[in-house]
Amino acid sequence: MIAFLLNRILHAALVMFVISVLAFVLGDVIGDPVASILGLEAAPADRAALRLRLHLDEPVLVRYGYYVGRFLHGDLGSSYGFQRPIVDLLAERIPATMELALAALALSLAVGVPLGVLAAAHRRSRIMGALMSFSVIGVSLPSFLVGILLIVVFSLWLGWLPSFGRGETVKIGFWTTGYLTASGLKSLVMPALSLAIGQIALVARLSRAEMLGVLQTDYIKFARARGLSDRAVNFSHALRNTLIPIITVSGIQLGYLVAFAIVVEQVFQWPGMGLLFLQALAQTDLPLISAFLLVAGLFFVTINLIVDLLYAAADPRLRIKTLAGRG
Amino acid sequence: MNAKLRHAVLAAVLLGTTPAMAATLKYGGTTPPLTMDPHATNDFVTAALVRQSYDSLVGLANDMALEPGIATEWTSQDPTTWRFKIRQGVTFHDGSALKAEDVAFSIMRQKEAPLYKALYGGIKEAKVVDATTVDVISAAPDPILPRKMVRLFIMSQAWAAKNGVEKVPDLGAQGTEAYTLRHANGTGPMKLVLQEPGQKTVFEKNAAYWAPFKGNVDSATYTPIGSAPTRVSALLSKELDLIADLPLQDIERVKGTQGYTVVQAPQQLFMELEMDGTRDVALDVFDKAGQPLKANPLKDVRVRQAFAHAIDAKLIVDRVMRGNAKVVGTATAAGFGGYQADLDVRWPTDIEKSKQLLKEAGYPDGFGIQLNCPLERYINTDEICRAVASMLARVGVDVRVKGSPWPEFARMLVNGPNSSFHLIGAAGNSGDTQDTFIAVMATRGKEPGWGSTNWAMWTNPEFDAVAKELTQTFDPAKRTELYRKGLSIGRDKVHAVYLHQPVLSWGMKSNVIMPPRADSAVMLKDVVVNP
Repeated sequence: MIAFLLNRILHAALVMFVISVLAFVLGDVIGDPVASILGLEAAPADRAALRLRLHLDEPVLVRYGYYVGRFLHGDLGSSYGFQRPIVDLLAERIPATMELALAALALSLAVGVPLGVLAAAHRRSRIMGALMSFSVIGVSLPSFLVGILLIVVFSLWLGWLPSFGRGETVKIGFWTTGYLTASGLKSLVMPALSLAIGQIALVARLSRAEMLGVLQTDYIKFARARGLSDRAVNFSHALRNTLIPIITVSGIQLGYLVAFAIVVEQVFQWPGMGLLFLQALAQTDLPLISAFLLVAGLFFVTINLIVDLLYAAADPRLRIKTLAGRG
Repeated sequence: MNAKLRHAVLAAVLLGTTPAMAATLKYGGTTPPLTMDPHATNDFVTAALVRQSYDSLVGLANDMALEPGIATEWTSQDPTTWRFKIRQGVTFHDGSALKAEDVAFSIMRQKEAPLYKALYGGIKEAKVVDATTVDVISAAPDPILPRKMVRLFIMSQAWAAKNGVEKVPDLGAQGTEAYTLRHANGTGPMKLVLQEPGQKTVFEKNAAYWAPFKGNVDSATYTPIGSAPTRVSALLSKELDLIADLPLQDIERVKGTQGYTVVQAPQQLFMELEMDGTRDVALDVFDKAGQPLKANPLKDVRVRQAFAHAIDAKLIVDRVMRGNAKVVGTATAAGFGGYQADLDVRWPTDIEKSKQLLKEAGYPDGFGIQLNCPLERYINTDEICRAVASMLARVGVDVRVKGSPWPEFARMLVNGPNSSFHLIGAAGNSGDTQDTFIAVMATRGKEPGWGSTNWAMWTNPEFDAVAKELTQTFDPAKRTELYRKGLSIGRDKVHAVYLHQPVLSWGMKSNVIMPPRADSAVMLKDVVVNP
C-alpha cells in the first residue's frame, strides 16, 4: 500500500512539474509583459529598466528557478495588473468559484439522479424517452449560450433575477459566502444552472445506465417478489447501489466544473478565479497567469490523487497490480 | 468666457427642469479600474473614475476644452516656465486645506511614474513661489504644458506621507498592496466610499466641493461587466441606469427600446493604416507569384497615394462601423488641440487614378502584402482589415490579413517595430496634435522621444522641421500656421492612410441626462437623474 501511495504521489508531482513548465513557457509565448504594462508610449530606457527589474533578460533556466523557488515558498509574487499580492487575489476569488461549482454540482445531482432513476424504471415510457433525448441537447449546448438565454428570460423579460455579480456576501474568516443572503442566493441561480445543465444530462444518463444494470440483479427481483412498492424498490434498494459510481464521477467532475466556470463567470461577471484569469490574459499579467495555472493544476491533481487512493482502498486488485508491476 | 457662459446657461436650463431631490446612479463599463492611485496607470477607465475624486491641475470640460481647475489661471513666464495660480479655499476629503505644496508634490510624484514619462518626463521641477503660486519648469520649451496638466491629479502630501505612498507604487513590486489602491484623498466632487478591486467602486457627494454641482447625484456605484450581452441586459433590466461602452450592434436595440436613450461622443483617437517609410526591403511583401519582393514599394509616394485613393473610408464607416464613426482626412481629429476643420478633407476614392499611380510606380499588376491587424482594443478591427483587403484587391494589390491578439501585436511593434503595413489607432497623448506630430509622425529617434509610436518609420525632413518649430512656438497664430503646414505635408505625402475617428456610445435610461465626453468619463457631478 505504501508503494502504491508513493507511486501515485510521484505521478502527481510529475504532472505538477509538467504544468509548471507549461505555465512558465506559456508566459513567454503570449506576449510581452513590458509592452502590456508600459503601453506603447514608454521610452526605450524605461522598458529596459522594467525588463531588468522583472528579470526578463536572464537565461530561461535561471528564471524558471526563481519561479519554482518562489512557488515552493508559497509566495506567488504580485500581479502586474492588479498590483496586489497574488495570494490575496486568489484567497478573495477562490470562494466565489468554489461556491458556484458546488452549487452546480448539487443541482446536477438533485435533478440528474431522480431523472435517471425514473428513466430506468419506466424505460418504455415515451415521456422519459423524450426527456433523455432532450438531455442530449443539454450536453451539447455551450454554457455561455445557456447563460445568455437565461439572462434574456429571467432578467430581461421577467425581471426576477440579477444578470450579473454575486449579490451581497457575508464574510466568515477569510471565506466570503453568498449562500447566506437572499440576494446572494438569487445571484447564484442562473450561473449555477448554466454551469450545471451539461452535468445534469451527464448524471442522468449515467444513473440510468447504472440503474438498468442494477434492476436486472436478483436481489431487486426478490424485493419485487416480496411485494415492495416500486418507489421503495427503485429509490431505496436499487438507487443505493447505483450511487457509488455516480459519486466517484461527481468528484472528478467537480474539477471540470471549476474549469468550465471560466466561461460562466465571464457571462455573469461572477467575481471568481475564471474572471481573474481572463483579466490576467488580457493584460499579459504573467505572474497571475502562471499562478492560476499552477493552482488549478494542483486542484486537479489533488482530486485525482484522492480518487485514485479511494479506488485502491475499495478495490484490492489495483494494489496488487501495481505491486506486481513494480516487483 | 464663452465656455463659462455656456455652462451657466446649461446650469440654468438644468435647474429649471431638475428637482432638488438627490439621486443614486448605478453605472457600468467593460473593465474595472486598476487602482485608485491617480498617478500609477494610464488606463483610461481608471482615469475616468479617479477624476471623480481627484481634481486635475487644469480642468477638462465635458467638450474637452481647458477650464480652470485647481489652477485658476496659467501664464507662460519664459519658454521653459509656466506659472499656475492655485485656487484658494479648497479642502481635501479629509478636511485639510489644499496648499501650493500639495500641487508641487503631486507634479513631482506623477512625473516619476514610468507610464507617464512620455507626457511629463520633460518637467524638471515644480517650484512653490508663494502660497498661491507654483512654477513648473521644463527642460525644453513646452507650449502645450497646460493641456498636459488636464491629466495631472492633485493629491494631499501629508496624507500620502502618513500612508507611505509618497512615491508611486512600483508595478509588480513584492510585498503588500499600496494604500492608494483602495483609498483616495483628493479635492474632487465625489468622495471614494469603497473600492473593491475588480468588483465595484462606490462614491458619495463631496458636500464641501468648491464648485456648484450641475447634477443631483449624491451617491453612485460603478460595476465592471466584461461580457457585452450581459452589460446590455443589465441596462435593459434596469439593474443599471447607464452603461459606458455600448457595443455597436446594440445601439439600435437600446435606442428602439422605450425608456432608453443613447448618447455619443467622438473618441480622442483616429484609425489609420501605417506604411513602411524607411526599409529598403519591406517585411512581408510579395510579387504576384507569391515570391518575396526584394523592394519596398511603400517607400514610393505614388504607391502610398494609390492606397489612399483605393481605400474607401466612407464605405468602411457606413458598413463596418454602421455609421458610428467620422471619416478623417488629416492626422488629427475633431476635439484635438490644433485640429483644422477646413483641411479635414479626405483623398477622393478613385480606382482609375489608383491604378494609374501604381503603374507609374512600376507595379502595373500590383503586388502582394501582409496587413498586420490587432484583433482587440479598437472597434471591429477584424472587419476593417478585411474590407481594406478587398478594396486593395480592386487595384491588383493582394492583401493577406494577419490578425493578432493585442499583447502579441503590441510585442511586434514594441520589440521592433517589425511591421511594414498595419492598422492602428493613433492619438496624441495629451489630446493635442503636437503630440501626434512628435510621437506618431516625426522621424523615429531623430531627437529624444521623437517617433516613439511611429511604428512604420515614416520620415520626411520637411515635416520634421515643422514639428521641431512647433514645439518651440508659443504664439497662437504662428502655431496654427505650423499645424496647417504639418497636416498638409502628412496628407500630401500620405504619412498613413487615414480612416476614421470612432465614436463612443453610452446607453442610459431616458430619465438620466448626461453630457457625453470623449475621454469616456461619466462626470457624476454633472449627471441629472429625473424621477
